[in-house]
Amino acid sequence: MAAADVPMVVLQSSDESIFSVEQKIAERSMLIKNMIEDLGTPGDEPIPIMNVTETVLRKVLDWCDHHKNDPPPTTEDDADSRKKTTDIEDWDQKYMQVDQEMLFEIILAANYMDIKALLDVGCKTVANMIKGKSPEEIRKTFNIQNDFTPEEEDQIRRENEWAEDR
Amino acid sequence: MVGKRAREDEVDNQKPPLKRVRALTTDHLSRLSDELTLRVLSFLSTSQLVKCQRLSHKFHVLAGDSQLWKSLYYNRFVRPRASRLPGIKDLDQSSSNLHFASKASRWLDDEHLVKGGRKTNWKRQYKLHHNWSKGSCAVDEIEVAEQATVPPLVVQLHDGIIYMADQDSLRAWSAKVERQLVAQMSFAGSRRGPPTSLAVDTSEGQVATSRLVIGFEDGSHGLFSLDHEAGRFKVVYRHQASSNGVVSAVAITWPYVVTMTATQLLSIYSFESRSGDDPGADNPCPPRLLHSLRSRTVLPPLSTSLRVAESNIVVSIAYSMPTYLSGWTVGIQEVRIDPSGKLLESRLASAIDQHYRSLAFASPPMMHHLPGPAIGALATPTATEFRHIHTKPTSLSYTHPYLLVSHPDNTLTLYLVTSTADMLTISAGSRLWGHTSSVSGAHVGGRGKAVSVSRRGDELRIWELEGGFASIAAKRRLATGDMSVQLRPEKRPTAEPSQAGLDVVKQAAGADEDASELTLSRGWIGFDDENVVVLKEQSQGRQALVVYDFT
Repeated sequence: MAAADVPMVVLQSSDESIFSVEQKIAERSMLIKNMIEDLGTPGDEPIPIMNVTETVLRKVLDWCDHHKNDPPPTTEDDADSRKKTTDIEDWDQKYMQVDQEMLFEIILAANYMDIKALLDVGCKTVANMIKGKSPEEIRKTFNIQNDFTPEEEDQIRRENEWAEDR
Repeated sequence: MVGKRAREDEVDNQKPPLKRVRALTTDHLSRLSDELTLRVLSFLSTSQLVKCQRLSHKFHVLAGDSQLWKSLYYNRFVRPRASRLPGIKDLDQSSSNLHFASKASRWLDDEHLVKGGRKTNWKRQYKLHHNWSKGSCAVDEIEVAEQATVPPLVVQLHDGIIYMADQDSLRAWSAKVERQLVAQMSFAGSRRGPPTSLAVDTSEGQVATSRLVIGFEDGSHGLFSLDHEAGRFKVVYRHQASSNGVVSAVAITWPYVVTMTATQLLSIYSFESRSGDDPGADNPCPPRLLHSLRSRTVLPPLSTSLRVAESNIVVSIAYSMPTYLSGWTVGIQEVRIDPSGKLLESRLASAIDQHYRSLAFASPPMMHHLPGPAIGALATPTATEFRHIHTKPTSLSYTHPYLLVSHPDNTLTLYLVTSTADMLTISAGSRLWGHTSSVSGAHVGGRGKAVSVSRRGDELRIWELEGGFASIAAKRRLATGDMSVQLRPEKRPTAEPSQAGLDVVKQAAGADEDASELTLSRGWIGFDDENVVVLKEQSQGRQALVVYDFT
């Protein structure tokens, strides 16, 4: 990977801010990694990150920086076969202490930039916000519009009673 | 600082310049793409998912997603089974690494769930399996006779249909929600004495019609078919009465039929049409008697089964027999014949020379003890094992490789049968504890799932016996008494709206308990994927099929 003189890449956010980052950090994003592989080593030409604004990109790169020495992400998506846990390591938990606006921006950016580990941290954070709450509390938390009639909702509740005892 | 989103959820009017605004005006969660929402939901448990289903229409669909539930189903039901089975126990320690390798999953999966390209509703499957594992079910009763009958009614359950024959008629009910009579045929006019045995063809490949064979007291038997769509029984063939006595057991795997009489005459018939004409034709071609042999002493209860391979037909008779040292044990006779009727092989095996191996860790609560001298010569550590005397079995159920026997002393015994080209053996029996009263009937199915019922019909248990007790995990479960779960029939709330079609239920759950003193189970119990059915007899002789519904 990194040689003696650290290779850098230049990224450009959707609102045209320029970031110069270590290639190793940027390559936590499979989107960027694949681009570099396809287009050859970039010079000073900035790589456009179309859907991500400066604030969000900075936040995402913070995460990449902290996790730059993690083992490279596996290509296979083993989401199904893994036992799901919503445990999040301490640093990531702190990192995710942002408002909902930013939380969902991070999720969208991680999805777009193809950073699976960050996407998982984001999704777990949202899952943890759902956990232990009643439907009404969940609706309040995320401002979800209840489009059921009371009868419909009650019907669904009864159909699902069997699953609630655990 | 413009909050631009990914294309799929672009919103124009939501560009909050001040992110600190606490009051949420945007539903960020619902704006995620379905794919991302599913990713979030994949981190939730079943109880949380069903809560999410109540949020909104969108979440009702997404949190009910079949793939989510499939993954939960695998994690809860398939993976633990993998660690329990001896064949792949190496995976025990590293079960987190157990991927959905196609081989393992095909083997572990309930094959019928994936076959035929039919789309599986995994949430429904999860619920079904969940209910089985908890023993929770709804109860329903079908009254079948006002009076007690001699001999008892014969009943079978297969693929959601309950078949029952009595002196007067053959009837079939749907075990599904409606519990209605599907078909009925009177035996009047062709009186041959009451039916004494009944078997349904469980082999694959028949959807529109089911075939069943019934044995009668006068030694005759008959082949019947049920047209599911028309809801009609048809007599395919009636065999004459014979002097060989009561037909005590029958088995069918089309086109072969086996009958076993009380005089231990075993007959194998073939209904294969030699001319190659339409087998479904109305006029039945008389069957060919392929082979007939007198069996060795076989005492009831017994169970016959029929396996058809390409080049030969295997008939197995599992039976119980008395022994000197260990009370009753079980034996199996396997007869192999070729399609032309030539006897290829007949072999026997029994659990008799295998010491009964106690796997119960606590000392058994109510065991008879042999007097010392009888085991004096065998004063080895294994000698103590002889102390467990098996009482005469009340029922016997054999679904290869599982052979399950119920005893009046509150226990069941499981044997594993090995049948290869070279040998036929029966493993030492493993005693199953759990019942608190005499067990009158038990039935084991192909994947080692078994149900058992007490004589008074008030205690039903479900057993997961897959893989026997070879693996460490299974031994642990046996030691902790974790082998079975008792059925917990759900008391249906009396004033429940939207319970259309279930009016039969009402009295069942409540009345059951008061009447239990007087209720006897006749020992017949059966199950399929969704139901357990027990034949019960009330004090006045009224007989009813009790259906336990796990859906």
